[in-house]
Amino acid sequence: MGNREIAIEMKGIHKIYPDGVIALRDVDFVVYKGEIHGLLGENGAGKTTLMRILYGEIKPTRGIIKIFGKKVKFHGPWDAIRHGIGMVYQQFTLVPTFTVEENLYLSYVSIEPKATVKDVREKAMKLMDELGFKVPLNAVVETLPVGIQQRVEIIKTLLRNARVLILDEPTSVLTPIETKELFNALRKLKEAGITIIFITHKLREVKEITDRVTVLRRGRRVGTVATDEVTQKDLARMMVEREVVFKIVRKPKEPGQPVFVVKDLWVRDDRGLMAVKGVSFELRKGEILGLAGVQGNGQRELAEALAGIRFIDKGEIYLYGEDITRLTASKRYSLGLAYVPDSRRIGLVYDMNIVENTVLTNMYRVITRTRRIKWGLASKYAKEVIDKLEVIAPGITSPIKYLSGGNQQKVMVGREIIREPTVFIVAEPTQGLDVGATEFIRKTLLSLRDQDKAILLISTDLDEIMQLSDRIAVIFEGKIMAMGKPEEFTLERLGLLMGGVIESQED
Amino acid sequence: MSPRKIKYRLALVTMKTRIAFVIEKIRIKYIDYLTAALEIILSATVGFLIAAILLYFMGYNPYEVFGVLFRYGYGNISYLLSKSVPYIMTAMAFSIPLIAGVFNIGGESQLYVGAFTALLVSYYTANPVLGLLAGIIAGGGLGLFISILRLYRNINEVIAAIMINWTMYFLLVYLLTGIFHDPKISHQSIQVPESAWLGELLSPWGRIKISFILAVIGAIVMYYILYYTNLGYLLRVSGLSPLSARYAGYNPNKAVLCSMLLGGAMAGLGGALLIIGDVHSIDTTMSTLYGFGFTGIGIGLLGRNHPIGIIFAAIFFSGLLIGGQWVELKTGAPPQLTDTIIGIIVIALAIPYAYRMLISIVRRWRMK
Repeated sequence: MGNREIAIEMKGIHKIYPDGVIALRDVDFVVYKGEIHGLLGENGAGKTTLMRILYGEIKPTRGIIKIFGKKVKFHGPWDAIRHGIGMVYQQFTLVPTFTVEENLYLSYVSIEPKATVKDVREKAMKLMDELGFKVPLNAVVETLPVGIQQRVEIIKTLLRNARVLILDEPTSVLTPIETKELFNALRKLKEAGITIIFITHKLREVKEITDRVTVLRRGRRVGTVATDEVTQKDLARMMVEREVVFKIVRKPKEPGQPVFVVKDLWVRDDRGLMAVKGVSFELRKGEILGLAGVQGNGQRELAEALAGIRFIDKGEIYLYGEDITRLTASKRYSLGLAYVPDSRRIGLVYDMNIVENTVLTNMYRVITRTRRIKWGLASKYAKEVIDKLEVIAPGITSPIKYLSGGNQQKVMVGREIIREPTVFIVAEPTQGLDVGATEFIRKTLLSLRDQDKAILLISTDLDEIMQLSDRIAVIFEGKIMAMGKPEEFTLERLGLLMGGVIESQED
Repeated sequence: MSPRKIKYRLALVTMKTRIAFVIEKIRIKYIDYLTAALEIILSATVGFLIAAILLYFMGYNPYEVFGVLFRYGYGNISYLLSKSVPYIMTAMAFSIPLIAGVFNIGGESQLYVGAFTALLVSYYTANPVLGLLAGIIAGGGLGLFISILRLYRNINEVIAAIMINWTMYFLLVYLLTGIFHDPKISHQSIQVPESAWLGELLSPWGRIKISFILAVIGAIVMYYILYYTNLGYLLRVSGLSPLSARYAGYNPNKAVLCSMLLGGAMAGLGGALLIIGDVHSIDTTMSTLYGFGFTGIGIGLLGRNHPIGIIFAAIFFSGLLIGGQWVELKTGAPPQLTDTIIGIIVIALAIPYAYRMLISIVRRWRMK
């Protein structure tokens, strides 16, 4: 192995974002020529940041990059492309109304301005013959299935003489059959001598397709191993193992009756694919049910369906025994349901002030019969939010965008708390917050639980799930993989389940 | 990490936030006013400076031209205010939909149909109130039509509006020359009967047209709707962040429909006020009506999309227009030059805002 030619060598890569977040710490990353190299890690581990640095999209704070032994410094993706690096994003960069050929031409002329459509066509045909990799050149892109569109993306990058192909979670948009086809295609590419970097968080795929794998955890490289020499268990452990930063005491408590019941829920995502596939659970008074899972496994769709802002294909939702499946979001909110979305960009209107943002979900409490907003009352509620959650803000009329992330999050959680709902759906409540704010929000959630509220905590942060949950459920590709008491789960088991491995199929 | 270390770190974090908080407090309190004031002063200076340089090189004395522009432009308050009426309304026709995230370029045709229906209704009923209502309904209906095309037929509202503008323009030319022309005066449409004219009020600043007062009331009503009602809140949230609107249980489509209805109604009212309150008939070349809708876009931006701001922006702009005509008379400058001067000043004033707005719109699109 040692004598193989090195395609990419990244040494001591360090990336600090302008807001002080350290995304990568001294990461070394070596890829041999002609291998399929997996890049594995949880959300926020730094996989995508590392690859964007390699693709020249962002600059490392410090560190050295060598491509085929030559030291390089990229000013932008165009430099990376010139050095034979191509990237295929999760979201495709094709013009949907153009044909495949036109799309290929569009990207090709950016490096070869004199090329004609005919040249591109011939080149593409030749390439497809060599690789045994077919796409219909005359079809309009938007009429093609996602899997084929992805092939167009791959051919597009190969046409530009890419020798190293970066695939950012390529299977997240694919059906299982399309995934299989993609893997076959990747193997052919490998035979043709193309080096492939495969970003993923799915353990099964790592085992199936990669030769070697590098695991990142919280911006550090945990290790690089040959895939044959490790089990999925080892990989899961590498991915999730951690030191617990602080401990929150959770009072023992017997949960009460079920107040929120979900039966066999099926929901589609924005692209019309099934994202939630038959989820059922019960939420009881005074308990926190933690829903763990890697981002993009149907959590957002599930939460939105529960809140009433996404169409439900099949299934039923009951709140206090009443069927609320067909009610609108505002109706559900006024019946005592609260939803804190996973993104502050959704939950808050950045250009509005704290009072106006408080009104967003409290509208039914501040409106007169003539549809006038009682701004006086709204201000009172806003003050209540600030007092109860210790929001640090210059005043209730300061725009939300000037508040820090933690304080924004407090407003978003606080305006739900003051409505005194009985069922909370909380998604990623501490995303991007500092230690102090995180602890505060978590304690607030626990005190709500102690006040007999029912809470569904959706989080990709395993610490959070382990610390807060009375019960844990794991979601993978829209299905609940397992549900039980926290004692039944080890980190390793959680990691395996989140990676889509059910105990019985462990290697 | 030991518990002491954690405690120390927590204390450090809280101290840091405290300090940042005090600085933030000072900054936030004044920054908006400061930047707004600075922006206006700076852009006005730049605008006038560029205009002055242009005038100088064209062989005119900038000092003299600006003197005429302002002396005559803002000399006759009564005329100034009545001139601003349609601009107030078409600016709102652009700004209200924009607040909800829709581009309404159709203020022009919405004003046409408002003016025309108001003319017909007041001609046959001799009742100004019915005439105004007809104008509002016609304008609102046309606005609604465009938004329906966008929502249910997926037709871009800008393109639809531009096409409808021209359709309505030629339809009106046909109707005015072919059917509703005045038998006694050539090139004029039928007239609003004198009993239906909106009069004037006496004030310390001279006579003020009732149409101006109605326009101001219209702007105040819109201000109330936008900032004090459920509906206005829906419009603003949908415009700033459609995802948040959906999250709160609103239907962003409803915001599109309502904003276009309100905007169209304002343009229609503008046309009706112009006909019933001021000119009383339309000439068959449409020069009475042409251009208000397009100019309204600039005024809406100049007024920072705020109904009250729009009133002042419209008056300011009307003054420039009136003064511009006097500049032509007094100094012999060609009309293109005065148009250019006005354009430069308005663009300079509107650009910082338009720039920020565009950025936020682009950001919104990206988020989708």
